[in-house]
Amino acid sequence: MAGGSYSRRAFLQQTAAAAMGLSLSSCGWRLANVRPTNTASADTSKLYIFTWAGYTDKALLEQFTAETGVSVVVDIYDSNEAMLAKLQSGGGGAYSIVYPSDYMVRRMRDLDLLQELDRDRISGLDSLFEPYQDPSYDPNNRHSVPVSWGTTGLVYNRKSLGTEPQDWDFLWDQREKLTRRMTLMNDTRETMGASLRRLGFSYNAEDPEAIRKAFEALQELKPFLANFTTDAWRDRIVAGDLSVAMGYSVDAVGVESENPDLGYVIPASGASLWTDTMAIPVTAPNPDAAHAWIDFMLRPDVAASVTKSLSFATPSRDAFELLPPDISENPSLFPPDDVLAKCEGLAPVGASTALYERYWNQLTSG
Amino acid sequence: MSQTTLQSQTVALTETGSDVELRKVFKVFNGETAVRGVDLTIGQGEFFSILGPSGCGKTTTLRLIAGFETPSAGEVLVRGQSMLNVPPNQRPVNTVFQSYALFGHMTIWDNVAFGLKIKGLTKAELEGQVREALVLVKMESFARRYPAQLSGGQRQRVALARALVNRPAVLLLDEPLGALDLKLRKEMQMELSSLHRELGMTFVMVTHDQEEALSLSDRIAVMNEGRVEQVGTPSEIYEAPRSPFIADFIGETNLLRGRLAQVDREGWQVETDHGSPIMVRPVADWQPGRGDAIAVSVRPEKVGLSLYPPEVKVNCFEGELQNIMYLGTHVHYAVELRSGEKITVMQVNTGGEMPTVSTQVYVHWSTQDGLAMPA
Amino acid sequence: MTQTAPPPNTPGSLDSVPNAAKKHWVGPWALLGPPGLWLVLLLVLPTLVIFELSLVPGIRPGDLVNPSGLDNYTQIFESVYLRVMLRSLLFAIGTTVVSLVLGFPVAYWIALMSPKRWRNLLLVAFILPLWTSSLLRSYAWISILRPTGVLNSFLGIFNLPALDILNQSPAVLVGMSYSFLPYMVLILYSSLEKLDLKLLEAAADLGATPIQSFWKITVPQSFQGIAAGSLLVFIISLGDFINPELLGGASSMTVSRLIYNQFLGPTQNWGFGSSLSMIMIFAVSAAVALLIRYGNTSSGKV
Repeated sequence: MAGGSYSRRAFLQQTAAAAMGLSLSSCGWRLANVRPTNTASADTSKLYIFTWAGYTDKALLEQFTAETGVSVVVDIYDSNEAMLAKLQSGGGGAYSIVYPSDYMVRRMRDLDLLQELDRDRISGLDSLFEPYQDPSYDPNNRHSVPVSWGTTGLVYNRKSLGTEPQDWDFLWDQREKLTRRMTLMNDTRETMGASLRRLGFSYNAEDPEAIRKAFEALQELKPFLANFTTDAWRDRIVAGDLSVAMGYSVDAVGVESENPDLGYVIPASGASLWTDTMAIPVTAPNPDAAHAWIDFMLRPDVAASVTKSLSFATPSRDAFELLPPDISENPSLFPPDDVLAKCEGLAPVGASTALYERYWNQLTSG
Repeated sequence: MSQTTLQSQTVALTETGSDVELRKVFKVFNGETAVRGVDLTIGQGEFFSILGPSGCGKTTTLRLIAGFETPSAGEVLVRGQSMLNVPPNQRPVNTVFQSYALFGHMTIWDNVAFGLKIKGLTKAELEGQVREALVLVKMESFARRYPAQLSGGQRQRVALARALVNRPAVLLLDEPLGALDLKLRKEMQMELSSLHRELGMTFVMVTHDQEEALSLSDRIAVMNEGRVEQVGTPSEIYEAPRSPFIADFIGETNLLRGRLAQVDREGWQVETDHGSPIMVRPVADWQPGRGDAIAVSVRPEKVGLSLYPPEVKVNCFEGELQNIMYLGTHVHYAVELRSGEKITVMQVNTGGEMPTVSTQVYVHWSTQDGLAMPA
Repeated sequence: MTQTAPPPNTPGSLDSVPNAAKKHWVGPWALLGPPGLWLVLLLVLPTLVIFELSLVPGIRPGDLVNPSGLDNYTQIFESVYLRVMLRSLLFAIGTTVVSLVLGFPVAYWIALMSPKRWRNLLLVAFILPLWTSSLLRSYAWISILRPTGVLNSFLGIFNLPALDILNQSPAVLVGMSYSFLPYMVLILYSSLEKLDLKLLEAAADLGATPIQSFWKITVPQSFQGIAAGSLLVFIISLGDFINPELLGGASSMTVSRLIYNQFLGPTQNWGFGSSLSMIMIFAVSAAVALLIRYGNTSSGKV
């Protein structure tokens, strides 16, 4: 009898877990603990990629298919957290390639969500620029390979501003004039980090006092914001509805080519330096094609042409050397070393994460 | 007491002459003419019925008076005033609808008080009148109910009270008893009649039930295919129909069609299409020529039936009894004449032995009972 | 002819008695089984899981589920989140009012005044927008409402001052009202279509002007439709995520956006998200209960 009731309970738990993408652990159950699935039945002629908008284009996919015979299906996400949530909820079982950013690589690795890469099947790792050979978020690139890097700064319309902003302070100083003509990113760490940096703290501050100050500064600015958005500002700044937007350098380069009045600046007090990587989830149904994709993307000719066509900065030296000067000397894409020196990468903030998010909820809810 | 208030009000409003007048009124719907040049004058205090088969335009005529339809041509007058461009809500008439059209979301009390509230009466002012109207129709104990909780007859009374409480110059009734069963209908007919007597209000009722029209009305207009065929008192309509349609529609009759053969002192001699010669009394204001088509109506109850040749020779024909229907108070006989015509005979049941089917019989009627009219 | 043996067809009917009883017993289970299973697996269980998660303070993906208190619920009662709930409520009420005010004349016209043979066509034309993606419709509103958008170009022609409402509450209200108006019109239409026109004639006959008839007869007679349409629009507005997200701005956070942020957005607090969801489920259930209650009482009267 006891066995019966036990198994019924286990059944219920498993059903509940299955429904929610949750699984059991020895004591109680753990939220979203993803395990490898059986890949025996996987279709090796297809590669599912989960990436950021604007990271692939048709020509690139066709070239890959022509070379390997594997057709590619691309889904996109707009935040690392959304990607993580999808994988954790069990909805990402089809993807063999994901594009986590630096800090997310570390987090996913700690959650055992990423496979260790087979370095023998990936050439071109040696040609990465020095800082990307052994990044702090993933020593020796054991679980990820950098594919692009960039900064987070301010995109602005120099015509409507009449001036060129130099630092984060510009937003606070000019907030009356910029009422609902500016946006900040819908990203806890980036936006809180920018506010921290403006006040002289690190992007990765864990001091509650510093985080509180950054939050209060943002609250001051908030009534003047049009929105918190990570990329919906692009069309609207091109059309002239916005004057300043906080955004990624890749997106900035994209809009600069559409409207010559637009410019991009890395704020003088410093910005975040980010790396987007390619990684293979433990649940990947087609790891062979995934390795082939990473190898393909690292090839100097491919990386260089992607840099040209999709305008994101390649971390590969061999590819960089193939670039025409108007691209390799574009300061929005490849900022000078002295500017880069003031930037810092996002790193996990441990127990402070909850505090960041609590403030973020309060900021966006008010 | 309460009734007299209503009555005196109505009478005070009424002076002399007609309450409703229709002059050459036409109504066309999408190319179909429903009403063709109706002329009517309805006197004040009259119980006037518009009678006709369905589709004859009687309801449309009523709706023209109420203002729900506007005439395509012609004029409607109420109390001598043209109703042209007067919307229904400003006309001094109220309607009792065939379907009652009670407001389902209101209590009986609120239904009856509706018109008075619209007029702007306060609660205190209208209370007496609403109660009075409910008492008049014996519905005072149902004031707090909703229409859905009432029977058909009860709804009918409420619809009456709702219209009467406004003391209209004219009360329009559209097939008011059509949805009730026979027994209830008889009961309500009596009540309508006594209400009319008590209130002295002009009632205009549309009905397809000739018995109802005959028993209730002061005068009746019979309509057919959009036209008024005859206006008259119930006895005029019944005794002296002006057209075969009316003769046939009002009550039961034997219609014999033929041609005028000869005019002499005893009356007109008509030869029917089957060749039977019949005599009818002359019609005062009509002089048909020889050979003109004539219809003759003979009411079944005016026809005598005998097993042996009667002494009279005029309007006496031999035939065969084809069917006998026993109706309790009456017996109904169907006779086929030698000439092929069929005659219905109705006789009071005197309790004697009845003849059997296929018996040779003689039918006869007096010249006075044959009514000639243009065919 | 007295025969003790049953007529030839009785044995069959003897057999069919237990059969019928069996069918009677199996029928409801066959009918209710699949949807019941569906409900339990996809509605009841997930709701229970959400409820359990809501009892774990600040649970994040990867954490151990160990229900230990109501902290997530007490967090909701911080003034900033109460304001979010109030805002959601106001958006939903506003949308309901706007849909009702705009939808009633349309439904009235289609049901009572338009030519009969056009009625279905008109109705289809009116609900046609429902066949396109709600996302597309919201994007369309962005291009209409933005500062350099269609609306302002149009106002510019008449030298009218530009309207800057995108990323503000009015834009959300516009988007939601537009999205949900067809539901309102459909429900009001089906209620007005049943309106007995004789009642309007009776009211006019008793002296009521068309306006008086409207308020005293048409509105009360279609009250059930008004209540049903309003509650439906209220419920879907309360849960709407797309319009507030796309048309709203930095200061138009709603409960559904906040819930989204806890699961898929920039903050990852599944516990808080779950408690917000439970509150939302409760609010919507209350609204549905109201709907059922009102539906019953008014049908009893009419």
